[in-house]
Amino acid sequence: MTALAADGITKTFGDERAVDDVEFTVDDGEFFALIGPSGCGKTTTLRLLAGLSTPDTGAVRVGGEDITDQPARERPTNMVFQDLVLFPHMTVAENVAYGLKQAGMPAADRTSRVEDTLALVEMSQFADRDPTQLSGGQQQRVALARALATEPDVLLLDEPLSSLDRALRAEMEAEFRRIQRDAATSFLYVTHDQTSAMSMADRIAVMRDGQIRDIGAPDRLYERPQTRFVADFLGDATVFSGTVTEVDSTVTVDTPAGTVRADPNGQAASVDETVSVMIRPGSVTVGTGSITGTVIDHAYKGFFEEATVELSSGGRLTVRRGEDSTAAVRADGSAAVGSDPGAFAVGDSVRLQITEAVLVEA
Amino acid sequence: MGAADEQGTLRDGVIAGVPVSVAIAVGVLPLIVLFVESIGPGLGTAAYQEAVSGLYRGTLLYSLGVGVVVTGVCLAIAYPVTYWVAHRCPRRYRLALLVTLTLPLWLNYVVLNYSWVWILARGGLLNTVVTSFGIFAEPLDLLYNDISMFIGFVYIYLPYVILTLYVSMERLDYQLIEAARDLGAPNRRVFLDVILPSTLPGAIAAALIVYARIAGAFATPAILGGPGNVMIASLITEAFRQYDDYGFAAALSFVFLAVVVVALLAGATIPQVREELRQW
Repeated sequence: MTALAADGITKTFGDERAVDDVEFTVDDGEFFALIGPSGCGKTTTLRLLAGLSTPDTGAVRVGGEDITDQPARERPTNMVFQDLVLFPHMTVAENVAYGLKQAGMPAADRTSRVEDTLALVEMSQFADRDPTQLSGGQQQRVALARALATEPDVLLLDEPLSSLDRALRAEMEAEFRRIQRDAATSFLYVTHDQTSAMSMADRIAVMRDGQIRDIGAPDRLYERPQTRFVADFLGDATVFSGTVTEVDSTVTVDTPAGTVRADPNGQAASVDETVSVMIRPGSVTVGTGSITGTVIDHAYKGFFEEATVELSSGGRLTVRRGEDSTAAVRADGSAAVGSDPGAFAVGDSVRLQITEAVLVEA
Repeated sequence: MGAADEQGTLRDGVIAGVPVSVAIAVGVLPLIVLFVESIGPGLGTAAYQEAVSGLYRGTLLYSLGVGVVVTGVCLAIAYPVTYWVAHRCPRRYRLALLVTLTLPLWLNYVVLNYSWVWILARGGLLNTVVTSFGIFAEPLDLLYNDISMFIGFVYIYLPYVILTLYVSMERLDYQLIEAARDLGAPNRRVFLDVILPSTLPGAIAAALIVYARIAGAFATPAILGGPGNVMIASLITEAFRQYDDYGFAAALSFVFLAVVVVALLAGATIPQVREELRQW
């Protein structure tokens, strides 16, 4: 069942199409992320859905009902703002009760609902505090509770975690996921942070220049993106252009990295056509294989090490290696030495094998 | 604590002490002189008894009433104006608009009052327009009464109120208003729950700045007011100039000061108001 639908909404500021014929649906109970680089129109889209701004054309539907002409106060959607904007002259409990009070809920019911909602976000003991006395993460929870208290059909979240530090952000992401499941509410989460989106969302829509470029589950978008932009935006990707030499269940492409067998990914490629092939760093085996190259840059990333390899046949490929990988081989044939025998070093010769590749639109 | 530090403290005391003493002397000395005059000769309270007599109490109440009403009207106008300038007006027009709104601040006070004489007189601008368009057959009596005096007061003190309130209004995060609307608040609730609590310090500060000045104003009632209602400043001036009754004039001034101060203190006893005032 569809909770929220953006039906071809367009918004123009002057000559600029900030939101250009955007179309997607959010299902009941779904965690949906809308991501894209800064200025891509994702926040404008959210404001159109919240009713804080009116689209030039197109419709917004909640539960099948057209709410395009309803102002924000009448819509069954609530928003969590980027800067949280808790009411400074009210306590935590009064903040959470605000929407209920506007809806005309009797005081006794209001009190129990506020208690339940604060319990959901684990802030019960802070009910009588002023918002200014809370930490960033606590304010975050209160902002979420305030928006959830009226049990909206869809919760709209505008990069609410962007002001938190990394560790707290990871903790709050897990909390958002839990709260979303417990409240059984649809979340539409706008962010420019693709790792947040991938770890939280059931489905992701990727936006660029006011348009939606791809919609899908995180693993589908990461492994089989439709376009080169989506491939790059969701993580490290190497894209080679090459000529198709053979087409059967896979597409064989002659690339600077040699002959690569790629998943057609929905594209109808024909022999002699020039296509783009995307390779994720995790789809390259280091240590064996027919491709040779030299490490020109490397970076330690915690769970894995990443290196940029200049291939003998031309072109560059980003590769990764975890702890179980075999050692790189120095130019003189010896194994690389150092504190960590598996570490990459600039100048190392490496052998590579591409295990997975997909075609993308350039 | 070394000797050098102690010397420094002494020097700091002298450096700070001189200007502070001058400021206190300049501020307090005239008040002392005035007070001595009001109780002299001897230690009489005759001047005070006359000042609070029924004859002059009406003038005092009328002056304070004018102060309250004009301040209220100024705030009622300044709220929508500053809200619009701070939150709805495109940013690039904001400064120009603020300057335009506060332009009267830089013009001569007396000239500002006389400009309303030209506008409101029987043969003035407004009556000429009204009669030539046939809205009224006869010119209206708009000058030398409470109407013209109130118009003059609002016109002259509105810029102070706008400037003071604008500072608070501009600091108000517009997203708070959007958040309240998103949670279902109608405009009335948005004003009472979000805009008013955040801008109350500014409104109080504005009221403090203009209220006593309006109640004690001299030029505007003299130029635009009617002959019937005398305001306190006219009364004091008359006592000084026409009757050479310095003691009575000084006593009237102190009674007025006392009433104004008491009114301010009464406001400050409300905890919320004190809390708001503390921010200033």
